[in-house]
Amino acid sequence: MNIVTIPSSEHTSFALKGSPVLSVRNATCSTDSTTVFSNLDLDLYSGEIVDLTGASGAGKSSLLTIIAQLNPRGNATLSLHDTDSTRFSYQQWRRRVAYVPQKPTLLGDTVASAIRLPWTLKAYEESEREKNAPFALSPATEATAPDDSSLRASLDAIGCADVELDRHPRDLSGGQAARVCLLRTILTRPAVLLADEVDAGLDDDNALKVSAMMTSAAEEGMAILRIRHRASDGHESRTVVLKDGVLK
Amino acid sequence: MILSSYATVTAAATATTSYPIDIWGVVVALVLVAAATAISGLLHLGLVKSMVISTARSLLQLLAMGLIIRFVIQQNNWMLVVALLVIMLFAAVQITLARAHGIPKGLALPVFLTLTVVMLLMVCLVTELMLRPQPWYAPQLVIPVTGMMLGNAVSAIALALSRYFEDMHERADDIEMLLALGATPYEAARPSILSSVRLGLIPTISTLASSGIVLIPGMMAGQVIAGADPLNAAEYQFVVLASLSALTLVGDIVIMMAVYKRSFTDRDQAV
Repeated sequence: MNIVTIPSSEHTSFALKGSPVLSVRNATCSTDSTTVFSNLDLDLYSGEIVDLTGASGAGKSSLLTIIAQLNPRGNATLSLHDTDSTRFSYQQWRRRVAYVPQKPTLLGDTVASAIRLPWTLKAYEESEREKNAPFALSPATEATAPDDSSLRASLDAIGCADVELDRHPRDLSGGQAARVCLLRTILTRPAVLLADEVDAGLDDDNALKVSAMMTSAAEEGMAILRIRHRASDGHESRTVVLKDGVLK
Repeated sequence: MILSSYATVTAAATATTSYPIDIWGVVVALVLVAAATAISGLLHLGLVKSMVISTARSLLQLLAMGLIIRFVIQQNNWMLVVALLVIMLFAAVQITLARAHGIPKGLALPVFLTLTVVMLLMVCLVTELMLRPQPWYAPQLVIPVTGMMLGNAVSAIALALSRYFEDMHERADDIEMLLALGATPYEAARPSILSSVRLGLIPTISTLASSGIVLIPGMMAGQVIAGADPLNAAEYQFVVLASLSALTLVGDIVIMMAVYKRSFTDRDQAV
């Protein structure tokens, strides 16, 4: 299964270094009155799929959104390919360390425009400038939106062969919407994918299709951290458990 | 004709064709309200209290405003005119904040700045450039025109503010998804900003379109009742309505640009 075609040199050059793609240090999350967790450390390597499990309320989603710098109640020292997160704008960081929310949200009148939404954002116009930046923001992300034929091929590859490009996103089934949302983020080729239980509420068949998409992306070098409540599907490289504020 | 209409308005004040209201007119109006209130009480509409209070408030406020404007006109002093405008500005801020529902705290400053911009524009452009009163601070022109425009801007801004924060709340999932994909706060908020500006402007646009067909706007009606030439009054009304629409749009855009970031943290996160 080939969702995206990536020149192999780009990702392997990082995979071979042996240093983590993403390093998380001192991740801390607190609500108004309580500390959910503090001083969590985590490393993610290129091409691996890490399952994050733990009871609900343990703070799994909070950890993911803190890594994407989306959580106002938490903080962490983050680096991507040894480049400190403070050297990225928040938008540049989120493009590369991409969080996929649990609830599939597709905006636009057609499936095609919903998938191409990222390329309408300002952060995606800056590819040229970033290439010339004095520090490495790699891996480079696609500068242009996927055209119809590559979108068609990608949808076919994730088991959405029956989904027309001009269908309205609200006419998708839950499983299709979840896969299309995941595809949208994978096509932006982030270095790290943070998937927040994107297979929740899907039947086993659809959950397997979602797992296969992530495996395919990981094979191309993406580092993936996914929250799961289901039993292991055998696609993960390792599992970490968040319990009582500690990662094991 | 527009230029001469200012003189016509002032002349109308002393014209023999005007129809001043005597105390019996006010009494009859109060009796009408009392009858309507009684009916609403019989029908259990739950409006009795608010109708009584609103009527009393409007009577007192309008009489007070009448006395104040009469005093300022008699004094004919530019400092008094400016002082009254400043008081109106502060009242407008307070009314805007009270009318807008579900907005976060701490919006007094942006609302104040927005209304100041709108007010300066209306005094400089509309009053001084289009109507050109002599002297420049002529209270019988500057104060009512500014009051009308300010009133309209207050309604529009309160509506836009309420809509913006409500819409952002409803779009929480969209905002999370957009930010996660690398959208800036403006990009994530844009649909809510646009719909708020649009909603704030709808009453103004419908007034613009319907005026003259069924609706004779208050200002024109007042001038005609006071004995002015209806055509002059119409021109006058158009100038005011058109400028008022433009300034309302400006006010809506300025307030949205000033407050949309309230829905985000300084780390570009959804609040």
